[in-house]
Amino acid sequence: MTQHSPALQVSIEQTLPMPIKGYFQCESGQLLALVGPSGAGKTSLIRMLSGLMQPQQGKVIVGDEVWCDTEQNICLSPQSRHVGMVFQNYALMPHFDAIENVSLPLLHLPKAERIKQAKRWLDHVGLTDAEQHRKPADLSGGQQQRVAVARALAREPKLMLLDEPFSAVDQMNRQSLYRLLADLRRELAIPIILVTHDLNEARMLADQLVVIDNGQILQQGTPSDIYNAPRNARVADLVGIHNRFLGEWIGPSEQSGQGLLRWKGQGLSVAQQPVLQVRDKGRLPEGQPVNWVIPSDGISLIKKNEISQQNDFHAEVTESRHLGEINLLTLTIEEVPGAEFVLTLSGSFRKNLPVGTKLGIRLDLSLVHVMPIRADGQGKNRLKINKA
Amino acid sequence: MDWQALILSLQLAFVTLLILLPFGLLLGRWLAHTEVRYKAWIEGLVVLPLVLPPTVLGYYLLVSMGGGSPFGQWFAETFGFQLTFNFLGLVIASVIFNIPFLVQPIQRAFESIPRELGEAAAVSGLSKWQSFWRIEVLLAWPGILSGMVLTFVHTMGEFGVVLMVGGSIPGETKTIAISIYDRVQSFDLDGANQMAMMLLLLSLTAVVASFFASARLAVKR
Repeated sequence: MTQHSPALQVSIEQTLPMPIKGYFQCESGQLLALVGPSGAGKTSLIRMLSGLMQPQQGKVIVGDEVWCDTEQNICLSPQSRHVGMVFQNYALMPHFDAIENVSLPLLHLPKAERIKQAKRWLDHVGLTDAEQHRKPADLSGGQQQRVAVARALAREPKLMLLDEPFSAVDQMNRQSLYRLLADLRRELAIPIILVTHDLNEARMLADQLVVIDNGQILQQGTPSDIYNAPRNARVADLVGIHNRFLGEWIGPSEQSGQGLLRWKGQGLSVAQQPVLQVRDKGRLPEGQPVNWVIPSDGISLIKKNEISQQNDFHAEVTESRHLGEINLLTLTIEEVPGAEFVLTLSGSFRKNLPVGTKLGIRLDLSLVHVMPIRADGQGKNRLKINKA
Repeated sequence: MDWQALILSLQLAFVTLLILLPFGLLLGRWLAHTEVRYKAWIEGLVVLPLVLPPTVLGYYLLVSMGGGSPFGQWFAETFGFQLTFNFLGLVIASVIFNIPFLVQPIQRAFESIPRELGEAAAVSGLSKWQSFWRIEVLLAWPGILSGMVLTFVHTMGEFGVVLMVGGSIPGETKTIAISIYDRVQSFDLDGANQMAMMLLLLSLTAVVASFFASARLAVKR
């Protein structure tokens, strides 16, 4: 049996023109979302995958083909890579109609066959016959995007790249394009890379997330991996985990596999700080300052008179923001001054919790994830890069 | 009406355009995308014929093509005739003084094509040559056309350089603009007026037609 290797392996290390560093991989048929703030290096990364940009140092391996290996001086041109790419603004040729646009990757075929195949791809993405004969300017944003997807598919790609494909499409079209993308993922046995800064989108569509910030690939994992166990505070911030707190690792508890975490609050003496019993992976030294997070699945609201356990706390609603179908609720914790929980609530339940309501909060401590605060942590790195 | 001069001017304009067009396309395309450090110098040289007095340009062309210059000598020895005061010399001068009229509109037209269109073509597997003909030239076409019209009309009307390099030999170097001047010198104002009016209408028609065509050809984005 041959050893399994991922369909796409990327490792890049460069300092100029912008620093980019990291490794990620993707399996065939998987959708991997590159997420991070604007300017993080997402677009540069996919330009390196498409061959439009050459990394200073790095490797791009697709299946058993080496597309780029700077050590061996290999860097295939975009023409010889077979990448299907959907550009941010679609990059459709304005002087061609939809069929001619989709025919572009098929120039090696005779004209009649080219048109036949282009029409087939356009049928496939749901463009009507009349729409297929229109130029991009006469198509809606959503239709233009479908043409761009069809053109990418016509390339018979070994790798699909989608650069912020939804940014210029309105909400209604977005829903139907999500469905299109989900269909594609089922049909295509190739890696699909989606660049986005919309986390909800990434979480909803992707099998794998790669979090990138300031040119550094910080973490790769499934969405639930990353939301439940972000590698560090920066990842937690980038993926929008609100419920992040400070603490100190006390050490293993009497129960095996469990450890003790001191929850730090403002102006509390050590004796006043609550101690939580959480999972211990045995990696942290005693006295290590930590960040800890808890996903919303691990937080329940209870009545005040139900507060009874060590993992129950007194809470007060300090803010309730109405956001259409949901409410964004901010709770402060009586036992830990300065600690705030942010929760989203939906349904009729949210109406009974106006500002000032006192209640209890129960934490499922088995879901608590602890991250060490390193002295040479993210903050310092960022500063260095900014200076340089 | 000096038909001979008119025909000579038309011939000169056609030949100039024919020689200059491939060069203008390549240079304009290159200038639109290049990031070389000496780009400003090349752009400066391209614009130079536009800002120099035609007599200055004509003077240097005359000197460098004439029998006194090494190039002029070499040419006369090799081909048996001098470049100055004949049609071929006129063509060379005309090509040089028309560079900005053709290259600048072409450069602007290529510059206005979004970069990602070229990238999309490359990712779609189109070679640089295919991308040039199928995408870029078609999108830059209004600019190319207006550069061609400007060049043609400008050649028809150029006076100073032509006079310096070619003189006024009927059927050889006497273009319509020079013929007009000759008529005025000999007080044949009616004859001058006929030709001047024709040149004016011809130029106006060509330029306006090219603007209409550009507007029609421009692709909606």
